[in-house]
Amino acid sequence: MENEKIIIEELFPEIANLYGDTGNVRYLKKCLPDAEFVEDYLNEEPSFVSKKPSLIYMGPMSEHAQELVIDRLKPYKERLEELINDGVVFLLTGNAAEVFYKEIENEDGSKIPCLNIFDFVAKRKMFNRYNRHVMGDMDGITIVGYKNQFTHSYGDNSKGYFFKVERGDGLCPGNEFEGVRKNNFFGTYLLGPILIQNPYFTEYVLKLMGVKEPTLAFKDTIIAAYDRRLKEYKEFDFPII
Amino acid sequence: MAKKNIRFYFSLWTVKIMRLSMKALGKNAAHLPGKFAIKLCPNFIELMDKPKHTIGVTGTNGKTTVSNLLVDMLEACGHKTTNNRLGSNMREGVASALIANSTITGKSKNDWAVLEIDERSSMHIYPYLKPEYVICTNLFRDSILRNGSPEYIQKIVSDNMQKETKLILNADDLISGSVAPENPRIYYSIRRLPSDTEKCENIVNDCQICPKCATKLEYEYVRYHQIGKAHCPKCGFSSPKPDYDAEVNFDKNTMVIYEKNAKEEYELLNNSIFNIYNQLTITALLREVGISADKIRESLKKISLPDYRYTKFRVGNIDVVDMMAKEHNPIACSVVFDYVSKEPGRKEVLFLLDDETPKESMCWIYDCDYEKLNSDLIKHIIIPGSRSLDQKMRLLMAGVPEEKIIIDMQDMEAPDYLEFENTDTIFVLHQHWKPEVDKRVVAKIKDLLNKHFGEEA
Repeated sequence: MENEKIIIEELFPEIANLYGDTGNVRYLKKCLPDAEFVEDYLNEEPSFVSKKPSLIYMGPMSEHAQELVIDRLKPYKERLEELINDGVVFLLTGNAAEVFYKEIENEDGSKIPCLNIFDFVAKRKMFNRYNRHVMGDMDGITIVGYKNQFTHSYGDNSKGYFFKVERGDGLCPGNEFEGVRKNNFFGTYLLGPILIQNPYFTEYVLKLMGVKEPTLAFKDTIIAAYDRRLKEYKEFDFPII
Repeated sequence: MAKKNIRFYFSLWTVKIMRLSMKALGKNAAHLPGKFAIKLCPNFIELMDKPKHTIGVTGTNGKTTVSNLLVDMLEACGHKTTNNRLGSNMREGVASALIANSTITGKSKNDWAVLEIDERSSMHIYPYLKPEYVICTNLFRDSILRNGSPEYIQKIVSDNMQKETKLILNADDLISGSVAPENPRIYYSIRRLPSDTEKCENIVNDCQICPKCATKLEYEYVRYHQIGKAHCPKCGFSSPKPDYDAEVNFDKNTMVIYEKNAKEEYELLNNSIFNIYNQLTITALLREVGISADKIRESLKKISLPDYRYTKFRVGNIDVVDMMAKEHNPIACSVVFDYVSKEPGRKEVLFLLDDETPKESMCWIYDCDYEKLNSDLIKHIIIPGSRSLDQKMRLLMAGVPEEKIIIDMQDMEAPDYLEFENTDTIFVLHQHWKPEVDKRVVAKIKDLLNKHFGEEA
């Protein structure tokens, strides 16, 4: 696969872009100057329909935007499942992963059917925001990050999760596993530039994408910043806000 | 409508005594009296008599400046004005301001009130205060910890706006301009500027699709982020027509505001775009309440922008500009970075934007246009504090050469790294919650410059 062109596909950057998450794709551009970067807009057919990408990225969005995205992706549910089963890397941050769940439940009990690729239910509480710094382990890599959300998701992710939580909560309060993983699909409530905050995870992702010898852009600085953050996460008792 | 009862009077008199005691002890009584009043009487704000003209000021950026300028202008026009400039912009601050300016029976001593209102406090204030006017300066993404998407904040403000309130809105911002669509409204706008662009050059534009039909909006011009003039090619949704339409003349340092049947020229208080918007906002409001253009021009001469947000002094041949850049607010910081980049001359930039307790994510820096600081005219960027490695990483991503970025020192050591040779301006960009650090750092820069130039300031 290393001889194939690396294609990074960003879904709906015009609306799925809250909280600095576009920094993830911008950082990949610095790491992979020769790769092809594709942006899929709401009212166009996504590129993945006809072309297999190396990575599909989607960032967090407003609640209304989630409904637009669900509507736009529904016709391609089978193709998305095919790509997940084929080992294409997916990275979905913030509430983007909820689009792939069974449904989103509003406070009034009404339900928004989602793509139903993963059997989880996200429950919204629009006046109960959850802010939390989270740390955990993924295959020996310590992941650090930040959550800010109006939802928690419920379902059994113990067989397929992004990382095991050492500090903070997983998919919902009390859950020790953060996010959803199937093959190379990573869905997580962590948001922001998580590839910049987690350079070893970024190296891991680059390898999954088929980059044989990944080179991190600004390696010295990004590692030093990660080391400092790790120390803070280990020493500072971040409150739930 | 609820009537004053024994509980209300008990609360009012208790907090009035409390307020007097606090004042006697030299304490700021701009929050606690309101807090206790609401605790003792939950509908306290509703029961208090309001001034004849009550103006609420909200929005992501500029609300403090607009509130303060508006109070200054009204007072310069001879109207004593109830305000919460010394207190919080939440219900406690609003209640404290009403208490401080009321009689023993709860009647307002003033005919005017200008109250800054935090967007998220809308539900606790608007239903009880029922302002005559509400200014909404703009709605952008803000601190992730406190706010969220602009759409979320827009809904909170809209859902709680009282139907009798007249809105003063920015026609150039389709997000705040769409607040509470059923309410009566007045729009203001700044006409196309030479610096406007065809496409958004910022990282963030939170209004890229039509709010009615989700079609991609077409912008005739973009000023910054979603500020500009746009329309939907499919359903016809578009930027509203302004009632106060300003044409800025930077050479003359003036703006001409076209109204319904008039055209009035005003001198600018400051030539930065956000301060021009602030001035236009208060002018639209003052004209709307019937104050003459002549009176406004006369009053403008008596006021100035608050020192804390922008100060400038010169030592030798170097200008020092001390500007507030609200950290965690990517739009406010981007606008400041843009201002710094567009000022002429060779510059040294010192950040005081770090957060000592990392309770909030650093994600905002990737929504902020650090690319503006990638300029040949910026010689060094000096960054003290625990977040300096994150800031350095962001600047490297923005293309700033590594040798220009100096990091990892204490706040008070940062001025030692400034280079005075071949420098025209030193910019100190400070966060809003550590004013004492900013003052000490700026004082040290002044001392160093005095020594450098061998003269007293």
